[in-house]
Amino acid sequence: MQKGEMFLGWSTKEDIRKRGGSGGLVTSVLAAALDKKLVDSVVVLKKINDFEAVPVITSDVNEVLNSAGSLHSVPSNFAKLIANKNLKVALPAKGCDVRGIIEQGKRNTIKLDNTFIIGLNCGGSMHPTVTREMLEVMYKIRPEDVHGEEIEKGKLIFETKDGKEHAITIDELEEKGYGRRESCRYCTIKIPNNADLACGNWGVTGELAGKATFVEVNSEKGAELLQNAVDAGYVQIQKPDEKGIAARARIKGAMEGLSRKWKEKVFIPMDNRLEYFRKELENCIDCGACKTVCPTCSCGDVSKCTEFHYRGDAYKMSMYHLVRFLHLADSCIGCGQCTDVCPVDIPLTRLYRRFANPVQEELKYEPGMDLRRPPYFEVKLND
Amino acid sequence: MIGNVYSTICPGCNFGCGLYIRENGELEVDFRKSSPANAGKLCRFGMSLPRFYTPARSIVDGRETTLDEAAKEAAKRISSTKGSVAFLSLGNTTCEEHLAFQKLAESFGSLYTGVELGALPGDVHQTLSVGIPYSEIEAAKHIVLFIDPYEQYPLIVRRLLLAKKKGAKITSIWWKDMPLADENLRPADTSKLQLTGDSLIIADFHPLSDTEQVKSLLALAKNAGAKITFLKPFVNSTGAYILSMDAKQKSLAQLIEDINKGTIKTLFCLESDILELMPEAIAKLTNLIVQTGQESAITKKAHIVIAHEPLYKKRGTLINNEGRAQAPGGAGTGGLEALGTIAGTKFDFDSLHESVKKMIGITAVDEFTVPAYERPTYAAPRATAKPPDAKILLASVYNPFMWSGLADDNDFVELSLNMVRALKLLKGGTVKINYNGSLLEKKFKVAPVQDNVLLTGKRIGIEKGAITPVEVSR
Repeated sequence: MQKGEMFLGWSTKEDIRKRGGSGGLVTSVLAAALDKKLVDSVVVLKKINDFEAVPVITSDVNEVLNSAGSLHSVPSNFAKLIANKNLKVALPAKGCDVRGIIEQGKRNTIKLDNTFIIGLNCGGSMHPTVTREMLEVMYKIRPEDVHGEEIEKGKLIFETKDGKEHAITIDELEEKGYGRRESCRYCTIKIPNNADLACGNWGVTGELAGKATFVEVNSEKGAELLQNAVDAGYVQIQKPDEKGIAARARIKGAMEGLSRKWKEKVFIPMDNRLEYFRKELENCIDCGACKTVCPTCSCGDVSKCTEFHYRGDAYKMSMYHLVRFLHLADSCIGCGQCTDVCPVDIPLTRLYRRFANPVQEELKYEPGMDLRRPPYFEVKLND
Repeated sequence: MIGNVYSTICPGCNFGCGLYIRENGELEVDFRKSSPANAGKLCRFGMSLPRFYTPARSIVDGRETTLDEAAKEAAKRISSTKGSVAFLSLGNTTCEEHLAFQKLAESFGSLYTGVELGALPGDVHQTLSVGIPYSEIEAAKHIVLFIDPYEQYPLIVRRLLLAKKKGAKITSIWWKDMPLADENLRPADTSKLQLTGDSLIIADFHPLSDTEQVKSLLALAKNAGAKITFLKPFVNSTGAYILSMDAKQKSLAQLIEDINKGTIKTLFCLESDILELMPEAIAKLTNLIVQTGQESAITKKAHIVIAHEPLYKKRGTLINNEGRAQAPGGAGTGGLEALGTIAGTKFDFDSLHESVKKMIGITAVDEFTVPAYERPTYAAPRATAKPPDAKILLASVYNPFMWSGLADDNDFVELSLNMVRALKLLKGGTVKINYNGSLLEKKFKVAPVQDNVLLTGKRIGIEKGAITPVEVSR
């Protein structure tokens, strides 16, 4: 097995196949890594309900096997969870999680050699509180009655406990302000080839549709991870056919095209940028949550954005935000976590991306996609 | 609890913000995005919880001991000073603990919840105790604020902004202009306020509230046919007020008076740090007994500290400002057991929990449901609120840091540019504040504040209630 190869795979355990998404391959690869001591710990989401799951770090194989399947309403943030813990760890990760982990690796808070990342194809995630409201307003169903959810052919489908399916197109939901988080709509990382493995159901066709996972091996670590699961008897794999490979590429292309359209829609050029930024930030309460949650920030409590800032200053825009705009211009990965946690609903990701989009384009640098050092790391005083 | 993660409620105020506390050697705060009150969002105080939750140690007269020994010693001292014991619970603990504490107070002394409900007509107690659902705030057409939402109850800001997005007009009656307000009036201009049946007044109710001001706000709402809701500063203020509505309870002002008169010699504080609110009175006590889950300024002054699990590890029920029943997150009943030791009985959690549900009027603890509370009409109270007549005022903006005695990055006063010019203050310099011969020098921040007012979000040691007349100079 080597980098660049593609497979279809599924769990050898029937209950994992039933419970896990797309044949339970990811769960089984994680469990095998722990069982065969490839890693000391694994990150899993412990499901509380369809809208809430708690990320935990575990060394218990059974806990991994009992962990959640696919949850679109749990926008996880794993980079900060495993940073500064010196773990030998395996974890599932959306594209933005992978990017955050790689950026933390560049900042020496995560040892990438000891981190096995199973990337998950991702068309976007939804905020749980918005999803609950959407169920009541758009679907006319009680959140408590939801039994499961899936995305298929551009529709978001909820299954209720009575066995019925309720489907609405994602376009219609997003027109009404529901559906995916804004940052997910314009994110272009749909298949995380920056992870060790990239897994998802795109490209699984025919009899295996819904019963297997399409896996792409992106690194030697990824090959080791998958081979370990095969050797340990946790998963079975086979080569995909050309039709499946083509279907996967087609879906990826279509999703990326939609993202680019969203990007144009959200980031309309504007006049009077200074006034726009001041207005958006006028309700800031200096909680610091956007920095705490930021998966690319590794400064800790003592950092320029906090040290240059004093709450007693009366600047029209705080030094905290100015420093963060500068820092994130080359490093923002557009994950949306800052917007998620802002207590006064400032669309922070949009503000950071207003700086990051042109800078990253000009520098031809996409943070978290490879091990290239952030361009601002390279700036010297005499440059 | 899942693994080392507790799904809990922020103790900063009564808003009911859900979060995760992760124990990883040190505490980490994580965002519980499915929480209905706050969608996982937290304010400065919520983000400071690892500092707030510094574990307390059980102590008797400076000597470290066990929880059980501390509770037994507390029982002895309470029995020996029966009749001169005060029991204070502001609402920082579970309903079950508060109810057990109330029973203890009824046997040995007097219950103080801090608020002056007795001075207010009985028909307004329910309105003061339970606020309206946040969804009603978002749906309001005209919102009138008698609070500083940014400093005092930060998670209300997004609800106000959502209301504004839907077309609501926001009027702020405060000493400082609020960025989110469409109209900023000063407290002295309240008569200019134009209220209708579509208006919603948002004020707050706490142990230092001016009773006459509360009455005048209730009358203002009543006379205009407007809605009124009161926010509250303690995690279970609503639960405590409902449970104690029929109990004989006294205010903080009464407690200070009773201590000063010498009729109260022993004070038992349940999860209530009032050291900064009444330092002189605390110093006069023969016995200060503190039962708590975390270290704070008052644990350092207490003769007895009964230390048990923090709130996020407790079993029980909390009622947020809307009346939502929430679980604090753990399974611990150490606090209840300590109260049992002091009372000489065993408080059974399950039977207390059943009583709580009955008294609150709920059948289950379900944070996704706002129970339908009675919202009785009331007669407009007669109010005699007088505007302060001093030339310069120092106004305290009570916030979660102030109530809990936790340090914040706010060691400055806010004042207007006109005051800066009049006093010829220098940028980066200080302003001198004089109250009855006590002179302080403070850094200042220029803000759109009423010209004769200084605002402080931190206790600076010269305050006499919410508003203190002062003199200022360069």
